[in-house]
Amino acid sequence: MLLDKLRSIVGPANLLAGVDLSPYVVDGRTPEAAVFPGSLDETRAVVELAASAGVPIVPWGGGTAAAVGAPPSRPGLVLGLGRLGRLVEHEPGDLTATVQAGMTVAALQSALRARGQWLSLDPPDPGRATIGGVLAANASGPRRHLYGTARDLLIGVTVVTGDGAVVRGGGKVVKNVAGYDLPKLFVGSHGTLGVIVEATLKLRPVADVERLVAVRFDRVKDAGAAARAVMGSDLVPTALDLLDGEAARAMAEAGERGRPPGALLAVGFDGLAEQVDWQCGELGRVTGPLGGSRVVTLPGAAWDALGSAAPRAVDPPAAVVRLVVMPAQVADVMEQAAGAARARGLVAAVSAHAGVGVLTAALGTQGAPEPATVAAVLQEWRAMARAGGGHATLESAPLAVKAQVPAWDDPGAAGRIMKAIKAQLDPRGILNPGRFVAGI
Amino acid sequence: MASLAEPRKRALRQELEALLGRGGVLSDPDELAVYESDGLTLFRALADFVVFPRSAEHVAAIVRLANREGLPFVARGAGTGLSGGCLPAEGGIVISLMRMNRVLEVDYDNQIAVVEPGLVNLHLSWAVGPRGYYYAPDPSSQQACTLGGNIANNSGGPHTLKYGVTVNHVLGLEVVLPDGEIVWLGGRTRESVGYDLAGVFVGSEGTFGIATRIVVRILKKPQAVRTVLAVFDEVAHASQAVSAIIGRGLVPAAVEMIDQLTIQAVEDAFGCGYPRDAAAALLVELDGLAAGMEVQAARIVAACREAGAREVRAARDEAERALLWKGRKSAFGAYGRVSPAYMVMDGVIPRTRLPYVLDRVNAIVAAHGLRVGNVFHAGDGNLHPNILYDPRRPGEEARVVAAGAEIMKLCAEVGGSISGEHGIGLEKADFMPFIFSAADLAFMERLKAAFNPTGRCNPGKMFPTRKTCGEAGAVAYRPHPIEEKGLAQRF
Repeated sequence: MLLDKLRSIVGPANLLAGVDLSPYVVDGRTPEAAVFPGSLDETRAVVELAASAGVPIVPWGGGTAAAVGAPPSRPGLVLGLGRLGRLVEHEPGDLTATVQAGMTVAALQSALRARGQWLSLDPPDPGRATIGGVLAANASGPRRHLYGTARDLLIGVTVVTGDGAVVRGGGKVVKNVAGYDLPKLFVGSHGTLGVIVEATLKLRPVADVERLVAVRFDRVKDAGAAARAVMGSDLVPTALDLLDGEAARAMAEAGERGRPPGALLAVGFDGLAEQVDWQCGELGRVTGPLGGSRVVTLPGAAWDALGSAAPRAVDPPAAVVRLVVMPAQVADVMEQAAGAARARGLVAAVSAHAGVGVLTAALGTQGAPEPATVAAVLQEWRAMARAGGGHATLESAPLAVKAQVPAWDDPGAAGRIMKAIKAQLDPRGILNPGRFVAGI
Repeated sequence: MASLAEPRKRALRQELEALLGRGGVLSDPDELAVYESDGLTLFRALADFVVFPRSAEHVAAIVRLANREGLPFVARGAGTGLSGGCLPAEGGIVISLMRMNRVLEVDYDNQIAVVEPGLVNLHLSWAVGPRGYYYAPDPSSQQACTLGGNIANNSGGPHTLKYGVTVNHVLGLEVVLPDGEIVWLGGRTRESVGYDLAGVFVGSEGTFGIATRIVVRILKKPQAVRTVLAVFDEVAHASQAVSAIIGRGLVPAAVEMIDQLTIQAVEDAFGCGYPRDAAAALLVELDGLAAGMEVQAARIVAACREAGAREVRAARDEAERALLWKGRKSAFGAYGRVSPAYMVMDGVIPRTRLPYVLDRVNAIVAAHGLRVGNVFHAGDGNLHPNILYDPRRPGEEARVVAAGAEIMKLCAEVGGSISGEHGIGLEKADFMPFIFSAADLAFMERLKAAFNPTGRCNPGKMFPTRKTCGEAGAVAYRPHPIEEKGLAQRF
């Protein structure tokens, strides 16, 4: 019945059921159907219908972050935004663009670059990741070191709420304090407060030159000290990534050749040619005395490899965890995390956006570890993140591991406000229920 | 809301004094009058008490007392706000954070500072300056305004063009929620668990609770700074230069525009070196690496010349640069030279619409028989038309309010916003429907209910007044008590 009504909204070709649903299975749970509305109005109608039937909605972009979160408690309806993939408006003189949520990051970047601009957000897997998904998952990449994350770039958002209303927050101008900052609320909300349908983003002009360089170290500790020295210097890097020896192996195919280093510091620069040249030279002067090798330029393709180096180094990973700590703690936590895996006979690869204190730790499957062993390592990693002043999130892990290690960390006393927000904004609990922080 | 009966007021005063000490509570009408308005003196409202806590625990105790008594309460910093946001619109308790003004900790390794809400914005940069750091958001009132007030309003400033507004620099907040509980939203790390509550709290205009500790990023001072003054004989050419600069792929730290009326006022008052006969001037600042600075400056100069600048020059030294910025940042004060009063407007438009909108703004104000001075953040399209008037002339203030409403409608029509940095407060609550639908506003009210279910925390702000629709802004001017005593003047 529900499926028939959904078909009449989106057309039969835009509803998947049965075996076609395999790409949309999350943590072993198959959805009832996947629907792909072709307009804002169809999206609204689908949500309204599902809400009245009490069927949960799982907003879906490119599926790149589908593994994040607690296992779904009940099957729902996957709401795919893939047909809403258009660049609605791009005014170069305003340095803003309005984009439909289902447009991929790669498609948006190529449209913008043709006019000399770009969105300064570089999440992993840009060919699949959609703008709506990147915002909902708060995905980011190496260039966040200088250019920030989605919260710094999203200036307006259109969502369909759990009761089928269309709500707009923010606006189309780069500076705006009218009303509550709804864009901040939706960034990182993992589809629990509204289905993002359209977004307006701040852009940047493409720089004359962009360069990614690498400095090798024998020890993670030294590379960490070098990263801190860069932070305290006059350099203005766009990226400051630290890779341990294991993670650095994944960069070999991307042009980082030679004997595997103990650690790699990958640093990005952009600007005028003279700015980039001066900074590459200065980087050598800052890192050399701390044990760094000479500064080597990496090919442009290394940018994409950098963001996903840790999981690729142990491909396929048994689990991937994101650890957020104080920036000065990065090297210590990196060494401890690898040590915890080694102590149980396992291999881990760890990379970090060192300047902002965000690490990605991937646990290998060599030795086919039992879920209990994986869970034990993950619990230790979380404890290390907490000791470093932060927290840890499971980016991906088998169901048996998620049963033992919560996907999200504890939000503390603020969890009460988060639950109150969820109850106010999605009172029927229709939007991606049970998958987020604090049981939201 | 009726004021409290005397016996109850005495009892509450005693209870507040027991908590805060005798010097921590004001309740005499003469003293309360100092707190009856903010920088927008069009609106006035008297509190029953003004209190001065020294800790989060004090704030929480005051909030719990207010809840027990059913009294509204509102946090207040330096009172430099320009939208009536910190007014005790419905009586009750004003909680001044001015005695919580310490820098609690600076962690240079992690480039963060932990401060109290009453700390003056500029004092943070002073505190970290000796080590080569600064706090980036720089509202024009930065010598007086507080970080807590900046949080409430998500304050901007000239350099936000490159560095972003307050929210881009805030990592975490300890807040006293409207029910008196003390919680942390966000923290010291760059990402927090769950919804970005710190991000949502910033700019909530005091309606989500009261920040008692603030974790902000501090930035390394740039290696080099270059400030360029471009002088134009036509306002339209200056507007076009803004687009040309952006179009050349340059991201200056700041691009500020100053029109002729403002230049003349500034020159009369301070003599900062702006040419009095110019129709408009652009103040363009580049900062960053020393390498390449000359090339970038040359691109700015070329863009301005091509747009029709009659003169473009770089500040020769730090003294000249400081003088040019003094002119820009003191412009509001300088209007006192040319008018007994003025009202600051704050709107945002897409940068490409600057030439059209500036023309229309001037026409709207002229049609109301008034004069306007423009000094604003041109680089991000954040307008500040300042409408000059004489409050003693009957009917003039009403014309200012009417012209202001038309300007806000204009900003909305071209796809802009009704506030870029001053907030909605009381002033623009009834303009919210210009840019938000009923569904948008209902969603925001539900969000507010999650933090502030009783509505006692800063009531009457941001949302259109349903009962008295259209009456906001109708508060009559009367001289401030300290004006009457000759202790202060309006400017």
